[in-house]
Amino acid sequence: MAAERGYDSALVTTHWQERITAGTDPSVRTEHTLRYEVAAPVVRQAATWCDLGCGTGLAAGSATDGPFEGELVLVDVDAASVTQAAAHLRADTITPLAADLNDPAGRAAVRAAVLGAAAPRAITCFEVLEHVRDLAAVVELLVELAGHATTVVLSVPNDAFWAIENPYHLTTWSAAAFTELRAMLPTGHVFAEQVPLRGSRITVQGADPDEPAGVEAHEGAVPSHFIAAFGPTAWQLRGGAAIFEADQRGERNWTQQRERDVGYLDARVGELEAGLVALRDQAAQMEQWRRYIHDLEDRLGLPRAGSAAAMANERRDGS
Amino acid sequence: MKVAFLVNDLQLSGGIGVVVQHALQLARVHGFGVALVLVREQEDPHWVYEPLEHLRVLSLPQACEERFDVVIATWWETTFSLFDVPAERYAYFVQSLEDRFYKPDAAERLGAALTLDLPVAFITEASWIAETLRELRPDALCLLVRNGIDKRMFPAPERIDSHPGEPLRVLVEGNPRSWFKHVHDAIDAANAMREPHHLTVVCGDRDGLGDVVADRIVGPLTPDEMATLYGESDVLLKLSSVEGMFGPPLEAFHRGATCVTTPVTGHEEYIEHGWNALICEWDDAGGTARALDLLARDRRLLYFLRSNALHTARGWPDWHQQGALMALALRRIRDAPPPAAAAAARALTSDLAAGVNLYATHMQQRNEFERQARVVQRVRAHPVFVRARQLRDRRWARVVSWPVRRLAPGALRRLLGP
Repeated sequence: MAAERGYDSALVTTHWQERITAGTDPSVRTEHTLRYEVAAPVVRQAATWCDLGCGTGLAAGSATDGPFEGELVLVDVDAASVTQAAAHLRADTITPLAADLNDPAGRAAVRAAVLGAAAPRAITCFEVLEHVRDLAAVVELLVELAGHATTVVLSVPNDAFWAIENPYHLTTWSAAAFTELRAMLPTGHVFAEQVPLRGSRITVQGADPDEPAGVEAHEGAVPSHFIAAFGPTAWQLRGGAAIFEADQRGERNWTQQRERDVGYLDARVGELEAGLVALRDQAAQMEQWRRYIHDLEDRLGLPRAGSAAAMANERRDGS
Repeated sequence: MKVAFLVNDLQLSGGIGVVVQHALQLARVHGFGVALVLVREQEDPHWVYEPLEHLRVLSLPQACEERFDVVIATWWETTFSLFDVPAERYAYFVQSLEDRFYKPDAAERLGAALTLDLPVAFITEASWIAETLRELRPDALCLLVRNGIDKRMFPAPERIDSHPGEPLRVLVEGNPRSWFKHVHDAIDAANAMREPHHLTVVCGDRDGLGDVVADRIVGPLTPDEMATLYGESDVLLKLSSVEGMFGPPLEAFHRGATCVTTPVTGHEEYIEHGWNALICEWDDAGGTARALDLLARDRRLLYFLRSNALHTARGWPDWHQQGALMALALRRIRDAPPPAAAAAARALTSDLAAGVNLYATHMQQRNEFERQARVVQRVRAHPVFVRARQLRDRRWARVVSWPVRRLAPGALRRLLGP
């Protein structure tokens, strides 16, 4: 949209990527897909896999190499998404379930669907907890299910770091908030952190690609640099790729510094503009006074203030 | 689930406010039966908090006639009554390491420290307290539930004004009678500023504050009034040496004010020097005044810190979220096995032994002072001294004793007694 418009107006409503679709930003989609890939060993060993907040099921396919060999319970508050996910994913049996985890009846339906299916079971619950109003009830449900041959893998976003005020998120998550939550989970639980990566790839035209596995190509990627080699051994140039953990803190500080500076200057401009309006008002008032005084001077037959005649009078009176 | 929070009173204070907020969330949102149990006779009327209709306020004898799932002590003195109230489990909501509220030779210091050795589960509101408790009591269940913020009472401002050319609006808050709040030091530091400033002191105890120089002294204030005042301030100045969760700067952050603070316990939870606040050195009135001067001069820095303070506030959870965690914590405590008595007893006897040693040292010193005092008393009772005391105010005696009084003022009074 922004590319078509050519200008990304700040007044355009933010498009919150709450449901992963084919049009979702690649970085968000990749992050979501990776979570399913990490959960794959747990899912593969299960006879029943329940995906809470399955959405359209776009990323869930990464949890299995092929069709899931067991019963797949797909749960989402949006019935249309559940239907779409059921059509997209492959499993021996698929149980679509439109259920709202904020609703006790919805939680009861999920509980019944999971416990009614064969053990061992796996539950993936990615980016769901921030949407639930009754956090305690949902966590208790998951902990209870974990006591019945069920492995739960859940995730929440670190919203607090970027101070993202997502209108769809009912709870705020940070490192400290997740530490609090972990204290309520069964002892011995596994903890993992997902860190964004940055990277760079060099592709030599006509040469064999030499890139790390797992790099998702993005059509229309824009080069950051251009390289040329010539001479007898130029043909030996090889492509490559490197990735590194992003300096989130540095990026945040840099971004915020820029935003604050703009904000400060914006506030100053606003104040100066308000001052300018006040000055114009004063000037208009002064102009009215000036006209009134000139009118008075004309009627009294006096030279107008500021005129050569008036100044000559002043000089004469002064001397 | 039926729980009881033991409180000394329901007076206006940060600590009681936190307990009331949790109690309300548990009762309203999570369907808990919640009682606030007053463990001592009440002299002053209760502070009118938010409607308490979802809560029962009981006396200790009334609470002792019931049985609860979990009973929670909320202040070290309330643990004295904790085990009188019948319950399946006992917990201790630790809002600070309260022994630090007392000076080293105060009897309460040992008492407050010993309560951390009780066979209870702990819930605390600050990461540093949780870490300390886990080190002190590795045997005990210790859960962290940070305080939420009432986002309706402390709403974020739409924008932060830069108001250049106007004095820096400094706010000092705290109980002046609490030695560890260092309210007077903060006022002195603000008054040592060179740049134009406007100092507001919030104080519920004017007598305790005494005569201080400030542009405005207000208080006591309700939380609503406090929120308004934070919104009118650029910077909150806190020079405390003891804090638990360190709530006031966080409330100020929500209203778009930054903070100048000592690196007091609790600050590490959300304060970053140069990002959302400035951290000054201990006992450094000059340095603190210069930090405030910097904010008064550099309005772009002030804007940066205030904006980032607001950013920090946005990431802080509200009472609804933290109430859910408190509900989970209490259910976890109820479902967990009771704490091992031997481990608690070991901690208690170990600390008691250290306390007894300290007490013995104090007693030894006291006995030595008493022996010295007896010698002085015997000398003062001697007829020569009695006669000298009778004569000391005579004119001729004052003339004779003038050189001594001149060389060692007060020596005669100390020698002869009053």
